[in-house]
Amino acid sequence: MSTSVAIEQTLKQYVAREILDGKDIGLDADTPLLEWGVFNSLEIARLLGFVREHFGVVVPLESVTAEHFKDLRALTALVASLKG
Amino acid sequence: MLLADLVIESARRDAAAPAVIGPDATLTYGELDALANRLARALARRGVAAGDRVGLWLEKAGRGVAVMQACLRLGAVYVPLDPLSPAPRIAGILGDCEMRCVVTTEARRGALASAGAPPELAVLHVDADWDEVLRLSADSLPPPARGPDDLAYILYTSGSTGRPKGVCISHRNALAFVAWAAEAIAADASDRFANHAPFHFDLSVLDLYVAFLAGGAVALVPEGLSYAPRRLVEFVQSHRISVWYSVPSALALMMEEGALDAAAAPTLRAILFAGEPFPVKPLRRLRRGFPEARLFNLYGPTETNVCTFHEVTALADDRTAPVPIGRACSGDEVWAVRADGERAGPGEEGELMVAGPTVMLGYWGQPPQRGPYATGDIVRVDDGGEYTYVGRRDHMVKIRGHRVELGDIEAALLQHPDIREVAVAVRGVGIDARLHAFVVVAPPAELSLLGLKRHCAERLPRYMIIDDFTPIAALPRTGNGKVDRLALARLAAASSSSQGEQP
Repeated sequence: MSTSVAIEQTLKQYVAREILDGKDIGLDADTPLLEWGVFNSLEIARLLGFVREHFGVVVPLESVTAEHFKDLRALTALVASLKG
Repeated sequence: MLLADLVIESARRDAAAPAVIGPDATLTYGELDALANRLARALARRGVAAGDRVGLWLEKAGRGVAVMQACLRLGAVYVPLDPLSPAPRIAGILGDCEMRCVVTTEARRGALASAGAPPELAVLHVDADWDEVLRLSADSLPPPARGPDDLAYILYTSGSTGRPKGVCISHRNALAFVAWAAEAIAADASDRFANHAPFHFDLSVLDLYVAFLAGGAVALVPEGLSYAPRRLVEFVQSHRISVWYSVPSALALMMEEGALDAAAAPTLRAILFAGEPFPVKPLRRLRRGFPEARLFNLYGPTETNVCTFHEVTALADDRTAPVPIGRACSGDEVWAVRADGERAGPGEEGELMVAGPTVMLGYWGQPPQRGPYATGDIVRVDDGGEYTYVGRRDHMVKIRGHRVELGDIEAALLQHPDIREVAVAVRGVGIDARLHAFVVVAPPAELSLLGLKRHCAERLPRYMIIDDFTPIAALPRTGNGKVDRLALARLAAASSSSQGEQP
């Protein structure tokens, strides 16, 4: 399993468990998380804490943009690039 | 005096002074003045004349501010629309106030067309039509034949039946508040205002127009930063903000996560907040963090803008009661009416009534507002004659300062084919406020939170999307058959398990 796939799985589980009702039906790489109100500013703040603890990477302030948080695909790419 | 005169006068005094610092560009007063004239001509070419409504459906930027000024110069009425609302809701508003023109981007225009916006609606694109705008003359326009009691702008708010309501504000309404606020905080041309609230939220009226009256600058906080506390503190630092106005939630977050205090933000001299009660604990932290700055608690529904204020001075260590909303301002008169219809005296509670120059003209499409405006807010009269907010008399709630009619969300959820009955409750306060839906599901359907969020997102502004839901066999009802809101609030409070609320 490539690193990206593993990161995406971890993030997906986090979203289903911590933000949603534990169900991940319909939760795909391109589900619009900002548009559907899954990620709001408060959830993003919590998510940044999870990313720091779980992946050991700090998302720089300038990367906290809609472009990087719009869906799991974009978020996975961001985390993967920070892990280097 | 009309609202358009503020920028025109300030441009005449000092055309080189910065007026708007946006994510797109910084505009001096001279540049804002010229751009407003060009945009007014572009709107006029699209048939916009005095009295016409013009919608703005844009992300926050200097161009949007210039469009508002352009509308005012034509005597037209601008209608700022939530850039985070879905196209069908915006299309509904365009129809509701028979918009003549909408100012937006090509991409958003496409979404509006698919959502059923009227095809005869004129469009000014801030991207595709920009070259055309810049080619038009920047010369002054003749003043429009409008008076202070004509409509200046319309702000749409959540309506209890699922239809947004357009609050109609005249030039006199807005200027009465702006003039009071400028004097209260002693605004001058050296001030730099932060504009945190979106343009469709009436808090933005202070940021923009008090700055324009004083000849100061207003720096626009982009939507994406609204609740990113560390970036907000950086914003205050890099723009040397002197006047900050926002909902308390944003300030509380900036202190908690962004270490906001006078050492971090030495230029802040006045901090104002409104939209929801400020819990005493974070407010005390703000008071201690800024020993020299002036702090103001402002109060007023969109229908009256700010009608009372309280300047927060010292806060006793043992104080647990929220600070008052204070006493009347903006030239208004306020009083409280008891349940028996009599005026409430010291120590008594009643519904707050407002009369005076800031009371709106009325809701669009409804009979004009006559006489005092009944706020629906229950207040207590203090011994000193100040008022303290107690609660609502209906089902309107505040989610981080946004006004939400629970019926608006319920009406949207009822359109779901698998939902028979629904009631929405709020749990938590301030930053932690969450919208929780209780739904009676038509078997054998099984709902998911993601599916319900999607359903809401297609119909409601983003701040009205539910955070949680619980399937329930039947809604709790009171003896007379009404939904038992108190029982729902208890159920919601009890179910806050897995959502990881911070203490």
